[in-house]
Amino acid sequence: MSEKVKLEVLNPRGVVEAKQANAPAPRLTDLAGKRVGLYHNGKPGLDNFFTVFEELLKNKYPTVKTNLIRGSFEITDKDAEAWAPQIDTFVYGVGD
Amino acid sequence: MAGTVKLEKLGKPGVFINCTTFDDDAKSASADNGIPTLRRVKISSQEFYKLRGKVETVRPLVESVFDDIINALTKPLTPEEANPSQDMVEQEDQVEVSVTAESYPAAAEEFNRIFLENRWGDGLPLVPPTPERVKWMLSGTKRSPDEALGKINPKQGAATIEKIAINAVMAGAKPEYLPVIIAVIEALTDENFDDLHILASAGSFNLLTVVSGPIAEEIGMESGIGFMGHGWRPNNTIGRAIRLSTLNIGQTWPGKNDMALTGRISPHTFFTFCENADFSPWEPYHASRGFKADESCVTVGSVHGESQLNHFYGGMIGTWTAEGVLDRMVEDLVRTDRRGYFMWGTKGVGKYLGSGGGAMNHMIILFPELVVELEKMGFDQKGLQDEIYKRTAIPYDDLTPAERKSIQTAIELGVIPADRKAVFAEALKPGGKVPVLISPENLHFFVAGGAPGCAFSFNYYRIPPYNRTALMTKRITGATLTKAGSA
Repeated sequence: MSEKVKLEVLNPRGVVEAKQANAPAPRLTDLAGKRVGLYHNGKPGLDNFFTVFEELLKNKYPTVKTNLIRGSFEITDKDAEAWAPQIDTFVYGVGD
Repeated sequence: MAGTVKLEKLGKPGVFINCTTFDDDAKSASADNGIPTLRRVKISSQEFYKLRGKVETVRPLVESVFDDIINALTKPLTPEEANPSQDMVEQEDQVEVSVTAESYPAAAEEFNRIFLENRWGDGLPLVPPTPERVKWMLSGTKRSPDEALGKINPKQGAATIEKIAINAVMAGAKPEYLPVIIAVIEALTDENFDDLHILASAGSFNLLTVVSGPIAEEIGMESGIGFMGHGWRPNNTIGRAIRLSTLNIGQTWPGKNDMALTGRISPHTFFTFCENADFSPWEPYHASRGFKADESCVTVGSVHGESQLNHFYGGMIGTWTAEGVLDRMVEDLVRTDRRGYFMWGTKGVGKYLGSGGGAMNHMIILFPELVVELEKMGFDQKGLQDEIYKRTAIPYDDLTPAERKSIQTAIELGVIPADRKAVFAEALKPGGKVPVLISPENLHFFVAGGAPGCAFSFNYYRIPPYNRTALMTKRITGATLTKAGSA
């Protein structure tokens, strides 16, 4: 009976450090009178998406205020820190 | 996704909108960024991409997800969302594989099946990275197996010398190639290099690697006829080791988090070749980047995807003269780069001014006979850069009002760097000639190919979307089996 062949191989995958699991921020109870941020990362068609969304939002919540910014593919630290105090909640659209 | 997490961590409840095609990617990215229960709303890729062009066409799609978006912002977090378990962000274990079979061919076949099933391979048969084989590979470098070079996107996997060696074994490389492969990964993991765009973007961008200096000949790289093709173990397996290292260390997979729509053409080796030092009358490329001419280096650059090659002819393809090839380059550069003028007047798509569009870098491959002729015409690399820069400038009077405005805005925004502002301010007047490139240094010449050869080019953004640069040269170090690169 022939001897069996055993092949042991090393793992090629990079070690990825796991982050601490965090919860999302608590939700708002209602959007009435709130400031809703709309983040547009410049991808084609998002402007049209947000135009319709804003219209539907204002129909449902007439006192809502929207704040649309068009920024980079990922919002920069500087823009995030400047924008956060101006909004109560946000919709982040990436077009992908 | 990172931006959404950033805002959530600032205490703002939000929702991330993604298309169905990107759902796996978005889910994985939310865990990688530390909020695995981040709220997302999916929209149909098929519908959104077709309908997004007009407000009225996209309306039904927005209406269909409107309530989901409102719920995502207002419905209280469930206990599971509010207390995500650490398991949800855990990464894959560093398991080792052991295969037992009746014969070596059967064991090798089983090893290949497991690796590909795990998404640890590139679709071609792999060489098993046994401890002995990896030790053999590591004999090509003085560097410690534990040395960490940096992290590879998108999962931020740690690139150690040992992991690179494991992937080099799988690629079929030899130990004397390892220092070259390490230098490439050093560039990709450099804190200023944008590896994310070429490893993950839907645009199918690609990677160019050029080896220059004496190590290329010492390890037997091919730089003559067919230099970008198959049949050359150093060229092909260095490229494949880069492919496998990025795939495994950065943990990418097509359609999951590598969204290249066509795949990255030349998928198993990227574009990997060396300069033809024997036939070139010029100094190697890396000398123009501040390295000593007698050193050995790699230059790594992102390039465009499906339409990457612009052909300028030469060799036996047709009758050619150096002046004729030069004319084609000028014509091509004017045509392609003028199309980008409209983006000059925007800040760009990333955090650095001018990123992801507008002004370009060109990586131009010249064949040795052509370079001899260019020398006769009085051009060295710097002289050729200046000549092409001058010839590709567009008369102010031919520019459209929109183009003039865009360039003026680029001056004002700082997209045109301070040291080039005076050039553009002077050019942007009646009678002036406005460059299509920010600087002559955006032209990069590599001498490669045989006799006959042909000239062609790749191009890419001067500033990439996610970092400062996507073109970098690194010195090859630590080699033990070659004289070159041993310092």
